[in-house]
Amino acid sequence: MSPPRKILQIEQLTKRFPGVVALKNVSFNVNEGEVHALCGENGAGKSTLIKILSGIHSAGSYEGAVKLNGRPIEFHAIADAEKAGIAVIYQELALIRGMTVAENIFLGAEPTKGFFIDWNRIYAETQKLLQQFGLHLDPAARVGDLGIGQQQLVEIVKALSKYSKILLLDEPTAALTESEVEILLGIVRNLKEKGITCIYISHKLDEVFAIADRITVLRDGESIVTLEARQTNKSEVIRHMVGREIDDLFPRRSSQRGAMLLKVENLAVGEIGKSKPVLDQIGFELHAGEVLGLGGLMGAGRTELLMHLFGVYGQRLSGKIFLHGEELAGNAPSEAIQRGLVLVSEDRKRYGLFLEKTIGFNLSLAALKQFTRNGLLEHNREIKSNQSFFDMLGIKAPGQETPVESLSGGNQQKVVVGKALMTQPRVVFLDEPTRGIDVGAKVEVYEIINTLTAQGKAVVLVSSELPELMGMSDRMIILSNGRIGGAFTREEATQEAILTAAMAYS
Amino acid sequence: MPHKGQDYECFCEEEAINTKISLRNFSIGIALVLIWAFFAVASDKFISPRNLSLLSIELAVTATLALGMLLVLLPGMIDLSVGSGVGLIGGIASVLVFHHQVPSPIAMLAGLVFALVVWSLMGRLIIGQRIPAFIITLGGLLVFKGAFWLVIRNSTVPVTSGNTANLYSLLTTYYFPSWSGYLLALLVGVALVMSKLRTRQQRQAHGFEVEDGEVAFLKLFISLQALLLVVILMNQFRGIPLALVILGVLAWLVYMVTQHTPFGRYLYAIGDNEDAAVLSGIPVKKVIIVAYTLLGAIVALTGFMQTAYAGASTTTVGDLMELDAIAACVIGGTSLRGGRGTVLGVLFGALIMTSLLNGMTLLAVSPEMKFMTRGIVLVLAVWMDVALARKAK
Repeated sequence: MSPPRKILQIEQLTKRFPGVVALKNVSFNVNEGEVHALCGENGAGKSTLIKILSGIHSAGSYEGAVKLNGRPIEFHAIADAEKAGIAVIYQELALIRGMTVAENIFLGAEPTKGFFIDWNRIYAETQKLLQQFGLHLDPAARVGDLGIGQQQLVEIVKALSKYSKILLLDEPTAALTESEVEILLGIVRNLKEKGITCIYISHKLDEVFAIADRITVLRDGESIVTLEARQTNKSEVIRHMVGREIDDLFPRRSSQRGAMLLKVENLAVGEIGKSKPVLDQIGFELHAGEVLGLGGLMGAGRTELLMHLFGVYGQRLSGKIFLHGEELAGNAPSEAIQRGLVLVSEDRKRYGLFLEKTIGFNLSLAALKQFTRNGLLEHNREIKSNQSFFDMLGIKAPGQETPVESLSGGNQQKVVVGKALMTQPRVVFLDEPTRGIDVGAKVEVYEIINTLTAQGKAVVLVSSELPELMGMSDRMIILSNGRIGGAFTREEATQEAILTAAMAYS
Repeated sequence: MPHKGQDYECFCEEEAINTKISLRNFSIGIALVLIWAFFAVASDKFISPRNLSLLSIELAVTATLALGMLLVLLPGMIDLSVGSGVGLIGGIASVLVFHHQVPSPIAMLAGLVFALVVWSLMGRLIIGQRIPAFIITLGGLLVFKGAFWLVIRNSTVPVTSGNTANLYSLLTTYYFPSWSGYLLALLVGVALVMSKLRTRQQRQAHGFEVEDGEVAFLKLFISLQALLLVVILMNQFRGIPLALVILGVLAWLVYMVTQHTPFGRYLYAIGDNEDAAVLSGIPVKKVIIVAYTLLGAIVALTGFMQTAYAGASTTTVGDLMELDAIAACVIGGTSLRGGRGTVLGVLFGALIMTSLLNGMTLLAVSPEMKFMTRGIVLVLAVWMDVALARKAK
C-alpha cells in the first residue's frame, strides 16, 4: 500500500492577536480522502485554525505555513478558499431563511441564461444534488420552514455544490437530533468514498470515533498529538485535551436540604392566543440546597416551563407559582429577578450576551440596581464587583474590558452565568448550561452548581445529556409531551427508567 | 457573526479590541480642522467673533436635537418626525404668544407638555404594537407638518407680540454680560477640577490604576484653556449666548444619563441585543417609552430655539432638521443599528454639519450646492470611518 498523499500540510503555524497567542507552532498533516477529526477544549485554537484555512484571517496575518497540495496557500478572502476547493460548514447556519433550498444552494453562483437567472437549471441541479446524498427534500421548500437538522444538511449540500475537495465541519451536530446525526455521519462517509477530505470538529467523542480515521488534539493553541482513531480510545483523547485525567466527571456534592423556595401547582400553559396546553398538570417543589434535574426529549417542554416561570413564555391557563411562599405572577423577568429567581438560557448568543460589549458591561447589567445611589451608577463599586466575579468564575481573558465576542464558548458561558449570579438569586434556572462547551469548562460549571447549593441556593438544571442529568441532580422530574412523565431521586434513576418516563405521554 | 442590519457598522466590530488611541479617534477632529481651515482661508469673516457667535447659536440648535436623536438611536430606534415636530411645537408656542397673548413661559410650557404627550404616545405605539419606528415617525413627519401649517395657518407668526423681548425670543438673542461669562467659566472650571480630583481619589481608594498625574494635569489644563478661549472670543462680540449655555447643560445631562445611570446602560444593551435585554430583566418597553418622551422634551426645546432664531414661525421652520440630527449622530460615530454612540461624538458631528452650513452661507454658496455638499460630506465622513476601522483591523 502506497503511503497516503498529504493534501494539507500545516507547518509551525502561529497566529497572534493583541494580548493573546491563539496558535503556537501548530503542525499536522491531513491525508487526501480521510476524515480527520480536530479535538480540543474551547479556546484551544480550533476556530482560529478554521478561520485561517477558510481565508477569514488572510495570508500574512500569521506565521508558519499552510500547504495545499504542497503549495502554500495565499487566501485573502473566503472566496479564495472556495476557489481552492476548501469549504466550511459553520456552527451557526449561514443560510437565508426566506429563500428556498435551491436558491440558497446556488446563492452567489447562479447560472444565467443571457442576463437572467436560469431557474430551471437551479432547481434541476439541486434535485440532482439532493438525490446524490439521499436527502428527501423539496428544492422549492423555504429554508426557514425546515428543521435545524435539515438546514444543516442543506448547508453541506451547498458547500459540495461548489466542487469542494476539502470540507471543514465545525461542530456540525451541535443542534441535530439523533436521527439527523446519523444522516449526517452517513453523508460524511459517503463523501469519503467519493474521495473528499473532511476535517471534522466536534466535542462529541462518540461521533468522532464513529467516523474519524485520525484525530489531532489541540490544547492551548498547540497541536498536542495526532492519533490513529483505531489505535486509541476516548479516555486517551480526553487526557490529551485537558492535559490531566478527569476521574470524576460529575463531582456533585449534595448539600443540606433547606426550606422550600419554589412551588408550582397544577400549572397549565399555552402559547399566547391558543387554548391548547403546551404544558399541563405540572407540579413540583424546589428546596434550598438541592439540584432538581429537568429531563425529557426535545420538544417535551423543558425550556418552555423554565421560560414561563421566568415570565417570558406563553400564557397561563391554570395553576399557581409560589416563590418564597408568595405568589409569582410570572409575566416579567424583571419581577422574577427582583425576587431572586434567575434564568441562564440555552441560547447564550441570542438570549444571554451583549456580544459587542465588554465582559464587565455584561456581568453587571442585570444587577445595576445594586450599584446605583441617588439614581447614579457608582462605577468603582461596579468594577470591583465585576472583578470578583471575573476571578471567581475563572474567565480566561485579558481583563473585564475585553469584548465578549472575542471569548471562546466556554468563557462566554461563564459570563452568562456570572451575569445571572450577580443578581444575588436564591433560585437559579440553568437551561443546558454545558451545551457546546468542552470537558474542562463543563466541570467548572458543575463546581459552580455545587458552590451555589452549598450557599443554600436552589438550582433547576435542564440537560439533554442523560449522564449529566443523572450525575448532577439530587432529584429529577422528566417531562413527556408537556406533562410530568416520572420523578426520581438520584438513587432510583436509571437510563431505562428515565427514557420510559420521557415517552410516557408520547 | 449575526448581522442585524446592513449598515456600515458591520465592519467596525473589531474596533473595540484595538488599542484605544488610533487615527480613527482623531478623524472627526482632523476633518473639523480641515473644514475650518478651508473656510478661514476662503473668507476672512469666518473666524470673526461675530460669525463664531452666530455659529455657536446654530450649533446649539442642531446639537440639541442631535442629542435627543442619540437617545433613540442607541436602542436601535429612529425618529424621522423631529424636524416637523420642531416646527409644530415652535408654532404652537408662537400662536399662543402672538395671537392669544399668552405669557411666553406658559406658552412654552404648553408646547412642552404637548410634545411630552405626543412623543410618549409614539414610543408606546412603536414598542407596544411593534410597528417599526421608521414607519411611525415617517407618519409623524407628515402629520406634524400638516398640523404645523394648520396651527400657523400658513402665515408668519412672530415669537413676540410687538417688539418687546420675552423669554421665548431671548432663547437665541440673550447674551451673558462679559463678567458673568468669566464667572460661568470659573464655575465650570472649578467643577471640572473638583470632579477630576474626586474620581481620582475614589479610584485610588478602590486600588485602581489612575492616570499619570502629568497627563491628567495636561488634559485638564487644555480643557480649561479651551473654555477660557471660548469665553474670550464670545465676549469680543456680545458675550456668551444663552443658547450655548443651554446646549452645555443639556449635553452634560445627556452624558450623565447615558453613562452614569442604569437607564443609559439599558439603552446600549437594548441596541446590542434586545432579546437578551428582556431576559436580563430590563424593562425594555418602559425604557423605550422614556427615551421617546425625553426626545419629545428635547424636540420642544429645539423647536423654541429654532423658531426664536428665525424670529417667527414660518412654514419652513424645522425643514430637514431630522436629517441634520441623524447625520450629526452618524458622523460622530453613532451606529444606526443601535448600541454605539457618545455625547462627545454627537457634539463633534453637529459642529461639522453646522460649520459647513455656516461657512457656505458666508461664501454665498447657492442652496443647490449646499445640499449636495452636505450630502457628500456625510457620505465621506462615514466612508472614512469605515476605512479607518478596516485598516485598524
